[in-house]
Amino acid sequence: MSVEPEPTARTAAVPSTAEASAPQVQIVAFCCFYCAYAAADLAGVMRLSYPPNVRVVLLPCTGGIDPLYILRAFEDGADGVFVAGCLEGQCHYQVGNLHAKSRVRRLKALLDEAGIGGERLEMFNLSSAQGPRFAEVAREMTARISALGPSPLNRAGAEVAP
Amino acid sequence: MIGAAMVVGGGIAGIQAALDLADAGIKVYLVERGPAIGGRMATLDKTFPTNDCAMCIISPKLGAVGRHPNIEILTLAELERLEGAPGDFRATVRRRPRFVDPALCTACGDCAAVCPVRVPSEFDGGLGPRAAAYRLYAQAVPAAYAIEKRGRSPCRDACPIHQRAQGYVALVAQGRYLEALRVIRMDNPFPGICGRVCNHRCEDACSRGQLDGAVNIAALKRFVADWAYARPRQPVARLVPTRSERVAVVGSGPAGLTAARDLVELGYPVTVFEALPVPGGMMRVGIPEHRLPAPIVEREIADILDLGVELRCNTRVAHVRDLFASGYAAVFLATGAHRARRLPIPGADLAGVLVSTDVLQNHRLGKPVPLGQRVLVLGGGNVGFDVARTCLRLGAREVHVACPEAREAMPAHPWEIAAAEEEGVQVHPSTAFVQVVERDGRATGLLCRRVRSMRFDEARRLHLEVVEGSEHVLEADTIVFAIGLAPELDLVQGLEGISTTPWGSLQVDPLTQATGHPGLFAGGDVTTGTAFVVDAIAAGHRAARAIDAYLRRIALQPEPAVPVAKVTPEEIAARLARGHLRRQPRLAVHLLPAEVRRASFVEVDRGFTEEEARREASRCLACGVCAECLECVLACKREAINHAERERVETYRVGAVILAAGVEPFDAVQAEAYGVGRFPNVLVGPQFERLLSASGPTQGHIRRPSDGAAPRRIAFLQCVGSRDQRTRYCSAVCCMYATKEAMLAREHLPQAQATVYYADMRAFGKGFDAYVERAKQQGVRYVRTRVAALREDPRTRNLRFRVEEDGRVCEEEADLVVLSVGLTPPRGAAELARAAGVDLDEYGFVATPSFDPVRTSRPGVFVAGGFHGPKDIPDSVVEGSAAAAAALALLAPARGTQITPKVYPPEMALEAEPRIGVFICHCGSNIAGVVDVQGLAAYARTLAGVAVAETSLYTCSADALERIKHAIAAHHLNRVVVASCTPRTHEPIFREALREAGLNPYLFEMANIRDQCSWVHGADPAAATEKARALIGAAVARAARLAPLHKVPVPVRHEALVIGGGIAGATAALNLADQGFPVTLVEREPALGGRLRAPLVTWDGSDPGAVLRALVDRVTAHPLITVLTGHRVVASRGTVGNFETTVAGPAGERVVGHGATILATGLREWRPVPYGVDEDPRVLTLAEFERELAGAAPPRGGAAASVVMLLCAGPWDRIPFYCSRTCCAQSLAAALAYRRAHPQAPVAVLAREIRTYGFAEEVYLEARRAGVQVFRYAPDDPPRISRTPQGITVTVRDQTLGEEVALRADRLVISPALMPAEGASELSTIFKIPATAEGFFLEAHVKLRPADFASEGLFLCGGAHYPKPAGEAVAGALAAAARAGTLLWRDSLEVGGVVATVDRDRCTSCLTCLRLCAYDAIAFDGDGIAVVDPARCQGCGLCVAACPGSALSLAHYTREQMLAKIDALLGAREAVHVS
Repeated sequence: MSVEPEPTARTAAVPSTAEASAPQVQIVAFCCFYCAYAAADLAGVMRLSYPPNVRVVLLPCTGGIDPLYILRAFEDGADGVFVAGCLEGQCHYQVGNLHAKSRVRRLKALLDEAGIGGERLEMFNLSSAQGPRFAEVAREMTARISALGPSPLNRAGAEVAP
Repeated sequence: MIGAAMVVGGGIAGIQAALDLADAGIKVYLVERGPAIGGRMATLDKTFPTNDCAMCIISPKLGAVGRHPNIEILTLAELERLEGAPGDFRATVRRRPRFVDPALCTACGDCAAVCPVRVPSEFDGGLGPRAAAYRLYAQAVPAAYAIEKRGRSPCRDACPIHQRAQGYVALVAQGRYLEALRVIRMDNPFPGICGRVCNHRCEDACSRGQLDGAVNIAALKRFVADWAYARPRQPVARLVPTRSERVAVVGSGPAGLTAARDLVELGYPVTVFEALPVPGGMMRVGIPEHRLPAPIVEREIADILDLGVELRCNTRVAHVRDLFASGYAAVFLATGAHRARRLPIPGADLAGVLVSTDVLQNHRLGKPVPLGQRVLVLGGGNVGFDVARTCLRLGAREVHVACPEAREAMPAHPWEIAAAEEEGVQVHPSTAFVQVVERDGRATGLLCRRVRSMRFDEARRLHLEVVEGSEHVLEADTIVFAIGLAPELDLVQGLEGISTTPWGSLQVDPLTQATGHPGLFAGGDVTTGTAFVVDAIAAGHRAARAIDAYLRRIALQPEPAVPVAKVTPEEIAARLARGHLRRQPRLAVHLLPAEVRRASFVEVDRGFTEEEARREASRCLACGVCAECLECVLACKREAINHAERERVETYRVGAVILAAGVEPFDAVQAEAYGVGRFPNVLVGPQFERLLSASGPTQGHIRRPSDGAAPRRIAFLQCVGSRDQRTRYCSAVCCMYATKEAMLAREHLPQAQATVYYADMRAFGKGFDAYVERAKQQGVRYVRTRVAALREDPRTRNLRFRVEEDGRVCEEEADLVVLSVGLTPPRGAAELARAAGVDLDEYGFVATPSFDPVRTSRPGVFVAGGFHGPKDIPDSVVEGSAAAAAALALLAPARGTQITPKVYPPEMALEAEPRIGVFICHCGSNIAGVVDVQGLAAYARTLAGVAVAETSLYTCSADALERIKHAIAAHHLNRVVVASCTPRTHEPIFREALREAGLNPYLFEMANIRDQCSWVHGADPAAATEKARALIGAAVARAARLAPLHKVPVPVRHEALVIGGGIAGATAALNLADQGFPVTLVEREPALGGRLRAPLVTWDGSDPGAVLRALVDRVTAHPLITVLTGHRVVASRGTVGNFETTVAGPAGERVVGHGATILATGLREWRPVPYGVDEDPRVLTLAEFERELAGAAPPRGGAAASVVMLLCAGPWDRIPFYCSRTCCAQSLAAALAYRRAHPQAPVAVLAREIRTYGFAEEVYLEARRAGVQVFRYAPDDPPRISRTPQGITVTVRDQTLGEEVALRADRLVISPALMPAEGASELSTIFKIPATAEGFFLEAHVKLRPADFASEGLFLCGGAHYPKPAGEAVAGALAAAARAGTLLWRDSLEVGGVVATVDRDRCTSCLTCLRLCAYDAIAFDGDGIAVVDPARCQGCGLCVAACPGSALSLAHYTREQMLAKIDALLGAREAVHVS
C-alpha cells in the first residue's frame, strides 16, 4: 500500500447538505464515561462532523440512567433521546448497559403509550475506539428524528406540563 | 537503599509494574523508547477471548500512569548504562528530543495539520500515512505531540546555505506554494534566481539519486518562485530599525544584498553602494538574459529593498576609509570579481580580442558589443558558454568555444554544454592557446595545439603537456577571453590589517567573513574569485551574523553539528520491498527548441507545470522526516515547539530495574515465499488489526490494499516466523489472535469467508477452547495444514496456495491473506540487555531461571512480559505485577522515601449562596476559531450564581491555573466551571487546582466545548456557539447544586491471609513477608508443597523438587509467616483492609485478622479416571508414570515395553472441554525421558492437539527427534482402547493422515484433566467470589486484572485461576502479592466519594438494590434498611436508578443535579438570569 499525501484533518469537517438543511430538532445523548463519552471525544479528535443539535450528558454508567432523566428531556423539549453505553458484554461496571437496554425498551413502550413515540428513544452500544460510529449514530438519530418531525410536546399549541 | 525503581518499556507489562510499584510507595521512572506509552496492546482492535475493545480497557490504565504522582514517564528514552548494586543503581538514560514541550502541548493537533511531511505510520503498520509532527494514537499518553527528526536531510546538508529543500519540496507536493516560498526565503532571498542558476549541490546529495535519479529540486524551487511571481505582488512591510549602528554594504550582488537583508531584519539601518547603474551584480550583468531574465532579478531585489534597505546606484566607493569616516559602524565589502583576465600570449591585446565582460556586461547594460561573424570564445567554464550563447543570439554566424580541458573535464555543466551545442556552438576541448594570429592589426584567428594532459599545481599554476606538431589555427574575427575574473581591491588599498590570497582575492576568516581590519567584513567573489550565487548568499548570511555579533560585542556561537540523515540503499530496498516506495524516474524540465532559442534572449528553460511540480515533489524520500519547514512553529499558538531541542543524557538513582521492553512482530518480509510487500493483498496480523480498528487507517473497514475492495475470502496463515528452522519456539498468541481476527472479519463482512490454516490449535488458556468453538459457530473455517508459499494471480491480485486437508492436496485461493506472524525479541534487545547487564537466551529474549520467571542474571534487575518470551496480555500483566513484587521485596525498607505526599490547604467553609467562576478556554484557535468565546463569557455572566466569567488562551496552562486559583480567592468562588475540552483527560488537572486553592475538588464541572463542539461543528460556527452556550448553561446549573464530598479514611490491617500452601501460595506468602507484612498461610494438607511434591520430569534439566524444598524451608523459617497446615477456612467477614477469617484445624478454630486475602487453592487431577487406572497395573496416570521415571516408584514392564500416552482425558461428557495447559509439555517430557532410557521402546502420544506453547515447543521437537510418535485425534472420534490380558490395543484416527492406526501398548499412560482443588467451591461461597462453569475462580478482568477479584482486597493466583505450569504459577503468586502489597502498605484507605447513599426513611426493604449490585456493596441492617459499603461501591448508579422508592442517591450525580443540568441543556427551565 503506498503512502499518498492526504488532506489535512481540518478539511474533513465539511457538513453534508443533508445536515445543513436538517430541521432544528433537539437530541440529548446520555453517554457513559468509559465508552460512549470517550467515543464522542474521539469523534472530535478525528474531526468527524455531526449535527450540532446532539447534546451529550455524561453519566458514570448507562446503568445509572434514571427513567426520569429521559422523560424530563422530552418534557424539556427534546425531540429525541439516545442512551449510549459500552458494547454489550463489555460494560466497565459489568452489566449496567444491559440494564439500560431493558430500561430503554420499557420506556419506548411508555413513550408510545404517551403519544410521543418510542422511536424517539434509542439505545446504542459503542466502544471507546468507535469515534466514527458515534458521529454516525448522531447522524442516524438526527435523520430519524428529523423525519419524524418535532416532538408532539413541542408542536404549536401543545400543552407542556410545567 | 533507594526507594525508586526504573521500568524500561511502556507496554502493558511495564505499565502494570509501574502502577504497582508506585501504588506501593516506590518512585517510578517509566522509560519508553517511543513518544507514548501503550505498547503493542494500544495497537490492537479487540482482545481475545472476550473481544473486549483493547483501547477501552487500556485507556484507564494509561490515564492512571499519566496522572500518578509517583510515576515520571520518560519518553523517547533508552537505558544506556546501569551501574551500582541492587538497592542502589545509577541508571544512565539517553533521551532523544521530542521538539514539543509536553508541559505546554495541548494535543490540539494544529502542528500535524500543517506538517507537509508524510511517512508511513508505524502505529498503523505502515498502512496509512502520518505527519512528521504526530501523536502516536488519539488516546496516547503523554497527551502531547512529538516531531520525528532523523537528522538533517542530505540536500540541506550539502547546500552552503543549508536551504531546507526537503521542506519546500514537501509543501510543493501538497500544492502549498506560498508556504513553500516562505520556507525557501527563510534561508535564501533569491528563490527565482537560485531556481535557475544554482549548481544545486542538493541534487548531488539527494538520496533518491541512489534509486532512479535525484529529485529535480532546482526546478521545483524555480516553479515556486514563478508561481508566486505570476500573482499580484503583496506589498512588503518596511522594517523599522531598532539599532543605531549604521552598516554599509559595498556591492549589490548576492552576497551584499543577502547581508543587507539579514542586517535590516536584525534591526540595523543598512546602505548598499553600487557602482553600476543597476543593482544585482553578476546576477544582473554577468548572467545572460536567456538563463536569468532581468525581471526575476529585479523582483527579488525589490523584495529586499522594500524591507528598508537603502540602495545608492552609480556610486563607486573610492575607499572604505571614507565609509568609516562618514559614521558607518561596520562595512561589508561584496564588490565581486569583475576584472576579466587575458592570457599573456602574443596578440592578446589586438583589435578584435575581447574579454567576457565586454560581451556580457555591455550587452546587459544596453551598450553595443562589437562582434564579428566568427567568434571564438576561450574558456570552457559556464562563463565561456554564457558568452558563446550570447554571441550567437547577438547575430554571430559561427561561435566556437575552445579550452585546454578534455571534454569530460570541462568546468561548465554538461547540460550547459549540450544546450550550447544544440544551438550550434562548436566546442574544441583539449586545446592550448599559443598566440593570436594577426592581419592588419586585427585578430584573424588563434594558433593552437592539442593538449595531451593538464594539471594545476599547488599554486594553482597550469601545466600543459601538448602533442608535438599539433599546431593548427582556429579562424576567428572576434576572440573573447573567458578564463576567469579577478576582484578589484583599490578600495582597500593601504588599509591596515588587510591581506590577500595568492590568487588575488581578499583574505577573510572563513567563519565570520572578517578581514584583518576591525569592522570590515568581506564576502562573495571578492574573497573567492568567481563562484556560485549560493556561495555568495552563504557568505552574506555569515557576514550578517558576524557583523551583528561584532556590533553587539558578543562572541559568535558556532552552529552545533547536526547528524545527516541519508536514506541508505538497504533502506530504499526495504521501502521498495514493503511497497512504501515505487520507482518513478526524475522529471526533467522542458527546453525551448534550439532553433527558437538561438534567435532570441527568451528564457531557454521553461520550468515545470503545476502538475509536473507536484508529481516530481512527491518523489522526495523525506530523509530527515521533519524537514524543519517550521510550519508547525507558526501554527502552534501555545509556542510549545522547539526545533533547537537537543539530545540529553540523564542519570537516575534507583534501587531496582524492571525490563519490560516487549516484543516485536516477526518481520514477514524475511519470509519471502509469502510475498509481503510484493503482493499488496498479503498483510500481517498486526496490520489487519489496524484495518479492523475504528480509529485505524480505514476507520474499521476491511479493504484490500490493491483495489480497496471488500475481500470475499480471507485466509489466515499460522506460524509465520514461529516453529520454523530459525525460530523453533511457538509464539503462543497467534492461534488466538488469528481466531479473533477471523471472527471480527466475519462480523465486519458477514458475507466473507474467513479461514484459518493452522498446524496445531494452541488454545491453551482460560476460555480459549470455548472461544475457538464460538468462532466456528460464527462461521470461521479451520483447516489443519501449513501453507508454505503464496502465488499471486497478476490479474486479480488474489493469492493462491496449496493446502493439504485429510491427506489430500488441493489449491485454494483468497482475496486477502493475513499472516499470523510470531513474536520476536524487541528491536534493540541486545543493546538494552548489554546496558542493563543481563544475559539473553539463544533467541535473544532475557534468560530467566525455570521457576523464577522475573529474575534475570543480574540481581536487582527483573524482567516482565514478552521481553523474556512470547506471551499474551494477561500473562504480561501478571509478570508486570510479579516483577513489581520482586522489586518490592528488595526495596521494602525504602518505601515512601522518594515520594513526597502533597499537602493541601484546609478546605474553606462553603457559603450557602453559590458563587460560580466560569473559565472559558480558547484552546489556541481550536475553540475560539469556531466558537465566539467572548460571547460565551458575556452569556455566562448573565447566569444565576455566576460571580465571574473569563476566557484564557489555554485554560490548562500553568499560568491560567494560577489565575483560576487567584480568582477563587479574590471573588470568594465556591464553584468552578471550566468550558474547554474533555473531563476524561482534564478534570483531574482542574480539580487539583481547586484543592490547591482550598476548595473541595467535587465543586467542579466541565463543559466540553472542544471535543464535542468546536471540533465536530467547525463548519457551522453559529450552531457551535449556540451549543456551547447550552453546554455552559447546563454546567453552571449543575455546578450550582454540587456538594462537597469527603472520602473517609478506613484503617488497614497490614497483614495477609494466603489460602493454599502449594508453590503459588508459598511464593505469595514469602514475597509478602519479604515485603514486611505478617502472613498467615493456611493449607488443608498436613504439609506444604501441593502437587509439586510429586516428582516431575523436566526437559530442561531443572529440578522443581529442589526449588520447592528451598521455598518451603524459607517459608517455614520466616519470622513473619504463620503456617497453619491441616487447617481450612470456614468463615470470613469484613471488607477490604479489614477481614476476619475463621480457620479450623486439629486444635479447633481460630480467627485471623487481615487486610488482604490471596486464594491459591491449586488443582487436583480428574478422578475417577476410566480406562483401567487404579485397577489394571498396565494403566497408570501421568503422575504415576513420572514417579517411575524419577525413580521414585519401581518401573513396571520391560525395557522394550511400548507405551501409549493418552492426553486430553476428562469428563467431557459432563462439561465442555478445556485445556489443562500443562499436560502436553509434561507428557512429551516424560515420553522423551522414557525413550532415552529405553531407545527400543515404541512411544506414542495421542492428543486432541499438541499445545507446547512458547519455549515448550522445544520438548515437542526433541521428542519427535527421539522417535516419539504423535497422533492427533478428533474430539468426536476419540481413541478406542481394548484391554485384554494379552495386551492393550489403542486405535486412533489421526487427523493429519486421515487414517486409522492401531497401536499395541504394553503400558497405557493417561493424562487426566486438571480441575479446581477440593474446597474451592466452598471458598467461593465464603468469600462471595464468582467462578467459571469448571469451578475456576473468576478474576476481576480477564485481560487486565488477572490477579484481582472484583471484590476489593481479594486476590487469586496459581491453579485456582486456571491450570498452569509451575513457573507461571510463581509469576501469578508474585503478582497477587504485589497487588496485595499495594493495599497493605497503606495506613488507611480512602472510601466514599462518588458512591450510592441511602435515604433511610424511603427504603422499603425491597432488596432490589441488593440483587442488582455487581460488587456486593449493599447489605441490609438490623432494621431491614439498605446500607451501602462505600469501600465496595464503585459508583455506577445501577441501584439508584432501579430503586422503586427513590431511596438511593448517587453522590455527585444526584437527581437534583442531573435534572437541573438537563433542564438547562434544553433551555427549558433556564436558570434565572441576573438582570
